[in-house]
Amino acid sequence: MLDIRLRSFAAAAILLAIAAGAWLLSADPAAKGLVFSLLTGAGLGVVLQRSRFCFLCNLRDFLDERDPRGVLAILVALGFGAILYSVVVMSWVPVPQPGRLPPNAHIGPVGPVLAVASFVFGLGMAISGSCLSAHFYRLGEGSATSPFAIVGAAVGFLLGFLTWNPLYLWSISESPALWLPHFLGHAGSLTLTLLIVGLLGILVHVLANWADWTAATAGPSNPLKAILVDRWPPVAAGLLVGTLSAIFYFRVAPLGVTAELGSLVRTGASGIGLLPGTLLGLDTLRGCATVVKQALLSNNGILVVGLVAGSLASALAADQFRPRRPTARQIARSVFGGLLLGWGAMTSLGCTVGVLLSGIHAGAVSGWVFLVFCTLGAWSGLRAPVLRRLAK
Amino acid sequence: MKRIAKLTSVLVGLFLASGAQASDALVTADWVQDNLANPNVRIFEVSVDTGVYERGHIPGAVHLDWHTDLVDPVKRDIADQAAFEAMLREAGVSRDTTVVLYGDNNNWFAAWGAWVFDVYGIEAKLLDGGRKLWEAQGLPLDTALVDHADSLIELPERNTALRARLNDVLDASEGRSAAKLVDIRSNDEYTGKVFAPEGVKELAVRAGHVPGAVNVPWGKIVKEDGTFKSADEIKAIYAEQGIDGSSPVITYCRIGERSSHTWFALKRILGYDARNYDGSWTEYGNAVGVPVVNVAGTVWTGK
Repeated sequence: MLDIRLRSFAAAAILLAIAAGAWLLSADPAAKGLVFSLLTGAGLGVVLQRSRFCFLCNLRDFLDERDPRGVLAILVALGFGAILYSVVVMSWVPVPQPGRLPPNAHIGPVGPVLAVASFVFGLGMAISGSCLSAHFYRLGEGSATSPFAIVGAAVGFLLGFLTWNPLYLWSISESPALWLPHFLGHAGSLTLTLLIVGLLGILVHVLANWADWTAATAGPSNPLKAILVDRWPPVAAGLLVGTLSAIFYFRVAPLGVTAELGSLVRTGASGIGLLPGTLLGLDTLRGCATVVKQALLSNNGILVVGLVAGSLASALAADQFRPRRPTARQIARSVFGGLLLGWGAMTSLGCTVGVLLSGIHAGAVSGWVFLVFCTLGAWSGLRAPVLRRLAK
Repeated sequence: MKRIAKLTSVLVGLFLASGAQASDALVTADWVQDNLANPNVRIFEVSVDTGVYERGHIPGAVHLDWHTDLVDPVKRDIADQAAFEAMLREAGVSRDTTVVLYGDNNNWFAAWGAWVFDVYGIEAKLLDGGRKLWEAQGLPLDTALVDHADSLIELPERNTALRARLNDVLDASEGRSAAKLVDIRSNDEYTGKVFAPEGVKELAVRAGHVPGAVNVPWGKIVKEDGTFKSADEIKAIYAEQGIDGSSPVITYCRIGERSSHTWFALKRILGYDARNYDGSWTEYGNAVGVPVVNVAGTVWTGK
């Protein structure tokens, strides 16, 4: 355990470094996207770390312990983000016209490939221990396994690029990008989204074992401890994640954490001639875009850097920075799970943040498909005996 | 005496008119700021990067999507008359509206827009320096969409004198017309070292340029901050290449959008008889049997 003064000093130094980075970047008026990305990333890192906003852990807590807190945080994030998103989308696209989608919104192609890729992503979550966004914030907690999962995901991305063309020709090229407001209008789309989120909330409430968790979360706490050390309450976490998602969409692009990783792999692999000359249609689809890199700093890259740094500062302050030496088995599991995460994220054009969160916020059917199949994948990974042994 | 006075006034009027035309093609950021509330001024943003307009545009500006509003989305052509007229009506443009265009990417696509407007009989102006300069000066941006009252404008048929087709280019190249050709691409594209600029797909199967074309890369006529150089400087740059307005000019690039930028300078700033060849190298470099000068000798898919 690190000395509290050392930890506090280190956390403050990291936050100062983030602020200094933002200040340096702001000297270039063309880089305002980078400044906003760095600060949003840092904010997201703090929120994810403080509230343990990890799709898999929250699902596992609910399945194993009937602890509803994390799952509720996700549902609040989905619903509140959808409300804020609709404010932005309605002002940009007042009338949903056929053939036109809100700019940049992650409204991906819906078809069997998305279902399979989301399922594989969910499986990868269960095996590697979390989804990609959580692996990034866990880097900040000094996780021993997340670096291996991220390396595995990079390899998975490469496999995704290699299998892309046949999958595109077989199905993705004919998979429509379904946007709920095209069918229901803005109001209908938002109502349906909130209705589903509400019903899921009721389901969670009914199945939850509230007695255990009301006791655990009740009671007055030192406010400083409540902010810096205790896990943030689910409603606060959900509201903050939903807010960050919408303001980032408003200012820069939909939230996502895999575009930079994918771009690095794509740039490197095409540089050494590993990839096909053309990735069919990939650059025309909505989602976490992986582009061949032209500039060192990208909005998404700096968002992820901010996320890891924010999480590190927050983990240090909470004394949750606990690096450990991983076992060989843990490493193997992380790499293999990461590989599935990478293939799934490349093929479905994003992950739990880019497709699920940003998609559902925007009214994309692809977000809901990802939610269903990723949850099924994770559930299978956690419950199916063979896979369970693998994940142990 | 009376006759002389009349003649003088006509001459002065002509002089003023041509002077006004030369300087009127461009407006400054200050002018735009002063005219934000002017109901007779309609500003259009033509940016190609998705979401740029929505995340902040010049207050009151209307969005023109290059991929759908300024071109025919199915066949390779500029927007058809009915679609363009409908768009202008919805934007509330009437005959006495002053149209100002600006956009990202050095105003390339805004200049394409200005060319399309001109083809349909509306002399649009460009905000000199485009979006980049507006942002660099820290001028206000807005995310609200303004619903302008519809107009009843009727557009004339296309003015074909502003557009060059493949045959016009061949006539110029082979001496059947007096027109001169300007290739505004980079020197590496012009000499045939590369088929397309870096980061852009090679969409032509031959490299090089149209025989007889001179090479004046588009960037030569703009300043560091993206604004056009003075009319005199632009005139001198072209005069060096033998283009002085005494014969018609045809501009081309790869797909016709950067050449609109040069077309704008030649036609609207200098007042030369200039046409844009929007087929450009992606048509010419793929056409069968047309002569090509390929100094570098690059062979398509050759080793």
